[in-house]
Amino acid sequence: MKALTAFWMRLLAFTLLVVIAGILLIERGSPPKTAMGGDGLPSAGTLSPVYAAPLQVKLVDLIPASLSGETNQDSEPFLAVQAANPQVMVASAFTPNPVSSSSNAPVYVSQDGGNTWVLNAITPVPRMTCDITHAMPTGENHPRGDLHAGTLACAASITLDESESNDVSSGAVMNVQSTRSNVDQPFVRALAISNSDHIYVGINDFNQPNGHTATVDVSVDGGVTYKSFSIEARNTAGQDGPSVRPAVAPDNTVYAAFFGWRKFNGTTATSDVVVVRDDAGGTGPNPFQALRDPSDKLPGRLVVKGASIPWSNGPALGQERIGSTLSIAVDPNNSSTVYVGWADHGRKGDIYTLHVRRSTDRGVTWSKADLPQTTIGNATNIALAVANNGVVGLLYQQLSAGRWVTHVVQSHDGFATAQDLILANVPADTPVQQFLPYLGDYDYLLSVGNEFRGVFCSNNSPELANFPQGVTYQRAADFSIKTLTDGSGNRVAVSIDPFYFSVPVIP
Amino acid sequence: MNSSLNFLAGILSTALLAPSVAGFPQGQNNQSALAKQSSIIFSGTVSQLGAVSFVGVPQSSQTIVVRVDSVLKKPPAVSLKKGDNITVEVKDPSTFQQGAQATFYAEGWIFGSGVAVKELGHDFNPGAGAPAESAPTGETALGRMQKQISDQDLQNRIAASDLVVIGRVTDVHRWTIPKSAAARYPISEHSADWHEAVLQIKTILKGTKPKGGKMAVRFPLSRDVAWVNSPKFQKQQQGIFFLKRDQVSGDPTATLGGYQVAAYTCLKPGDWLPLSDEARVRSLLKK
Repeated sequence: MKALTAFWMRLLAFTLLVVIAGILLIERGSPPKTAMGGDGLPSAGTLSPVYAAPLQVKLVDLIPASLSGETNQDSEPFLAVQAANPQVMVASAFTPNPVSSSSNAPVYVSQDGGNTWVLNAITPVPRMTCDITHAMPTGENHPRGDLHAGTLACAASITLDESESNDVSSGAVMNVQSTRSNVDQPFVRALAISNSDHIYVGINDFNQPNGHTATVDVSVDGGVTYKSFSIEARNTAGQDGPSVRPAVAPDNTVYAAFFGWRKFNGTTATSDVVVVRDDAGGTGPNPFQALRDPSDKLPGRLVVKGASIPWSNGPALGQERIGSTLSIAVDPNNSSTVYVGWADHGRKGDIYTLHVRRSTDRGVTWSKADLPQTTIGNATNIALAVANNGVVGLLYQQLSAGRWVTHVVQSHDGFATAQDLILANVPADTPVQQFLPYLGDYDYLLSVGNEFRGVFCSNNSPELANFPQGVTYQRAADFSIKTLTDGSGNRVAVSIDPFYFSVPVIP
Repeated sequence: MNSSLNFLAGILSTALLAPSVAGFPQGQNNQSALAKQSSIIFSGTVSQLGAVSFVGVPQSSQTIVVRVDSVLKKPPAVSLKKGDNITVEVKDPSTFQQGAQATFYAEGWIFGSGVAVKELGHDFNPGAGAPAESAPTGETALGRMQKQISDQDLQNRIAASDLVVIGRVTDVHRWTIPKSAAARYPISEHSADWHEAVLQIKTILKGTKPKGGKMAVRFPLSRDVAWVNSPKFQKQQQGIFFLKRDQVSGDPTATLGGYQVAAYTCLKPGDWLPLSDEARVRSLLKK
């Protein structure tokens, strides 16, 4: 009897010890919270495997505590998640080097699944990038790499650098592998195949002849060499639209979507929404020509013909400019299923209308109308992703009743039914724009295990009501009086910050 | 303001406390160069060797943790104050011991829950305690040092300019590249939205006065992130213009009063200064 009692006592003590140790570990791995609501993911390094089930929505303001005094317009966010270890992530925005106009532009780095972020000045661009996107496929097996980025430098001429980092936690500046000028909006996707990183950079390349500017730069050797392929086969209005978006499936299927500009009058582009496909990772004899349109037999399937897309390089949708929001996503386990989303002047009374269409036969045919619930008025920054279970995610930002409302929508049946979460609902007139874009020409969404992860930009006023799913600030903020401070008690003005989020994929 | 005062006081105290460095012209030049190069200057006490002060900074034998005694210079956005622990990646860790007090000249490195910097230089404080918080007698001298730094920037700007002109803007109009020009004009969110200001020249401070006393100055009116910090001109605006021959817009010439003339650009922040800076610019031109 005594032995039995002693056994149970020891078991109870051991259990308590484990629970306490677990709590301590979680506390140590979490950032100091200035607001409650959404809880953080358990750190994979402490409690769970890397694809741990997210408990609920996580939303984190990326600005670190040591930059609490900043008031920049940190717009146009992007996110890369390391394929081998999704605890490691890199995010970016129009965030200037915080201390020097001649030092390198920074990125945000997290090594704990997005709970905390540091700013590390490792891009090859001085002070601040003009555009930046990136991916971390880790084909080269670097524990905190391989970050591949496409950056534009803002100087007298705009220059593209395609570069890599093997360790994003170090202070080493990214190694530039390729560079050229006279291009726009690099958009990087990548995949690790056979110990090599395959990199696909969608760009609008004004060096291409005959105005066939929609281009994909392809590297199948981790960026050591790149080949450029124009993916436009038709006559253009001198050029295509800025957005060229690749999507890569693990079976080596690569899609790319672009705006084939047919006419442009300065305020409106008459544009086709075009999708191309390659079945060999862009390495075959006729890259990106697997799809042909039945109307003219030319490469590139015309999902929509002659869409009227408003072009404004001034404030048009609230304080935001419009003209080229586009996204494409492929099912990672079934590359026949692909979604494309864009915005045009679709409905009377709307400034900018989002649409989503789907193909289930490798882009050969497309839904003739928008998928249910995906014709969305006065919205921009569309981003699509497909999870491992086939659930499609849709991120967008809508101007509604004088507020910017950031939605992430999920559906397992092509949006016939959907779960719509509002991540942020903030005043659209505050702060006043410092430059364009106000929130960004894009935001980003991707799937990681059983999570959708993404980034968007928003007014950073510390008001819980603005973030219905909860939020965590790293920077100094007092939610009780809705005030930002510089860490020494001095008030700091509201500005635009990048926010990281994780949302559990619906079953 | 406090930060500036602290900066001045700190430089002064360093100069007073480290005569071997700052007591001679060469030392002053070195210190001035270091101060210019440094984005963060602070005085502190070494508390740990081979350590870091927050997660996210790669630890190495070169990283030390320093308790901040006094912040002498920092950008406003950076949260750093007395009592904070800061990580410093030093050049030679063997020169530091726990408890050593020094003034660190540094550039920013990693910003997270704390601050990490890379050392550009340091001066050991021979006496105990932090640098003096105020030293009014030295502020003038140190103000001169800051002015020297600022003047050097301006001198570099003058040297890089093809023309330096005092003038008044008499007209501003949108400029589009002529079809005859070789360059194409792609449409992009980064498009400059070139505008041309007609500048009535009052005085030429550098270069040769163009015929007719007028010139065409191109500038980007775009609010895009690529161009937002470029000077934007309005009719009747006066000032000092630091100009370069146009190698950016795609056409190096302009038409003015029926004549073809060289076009100039004014692109960087600081390429235009108010007339109140005229005496300063003139004095630097004489050097």
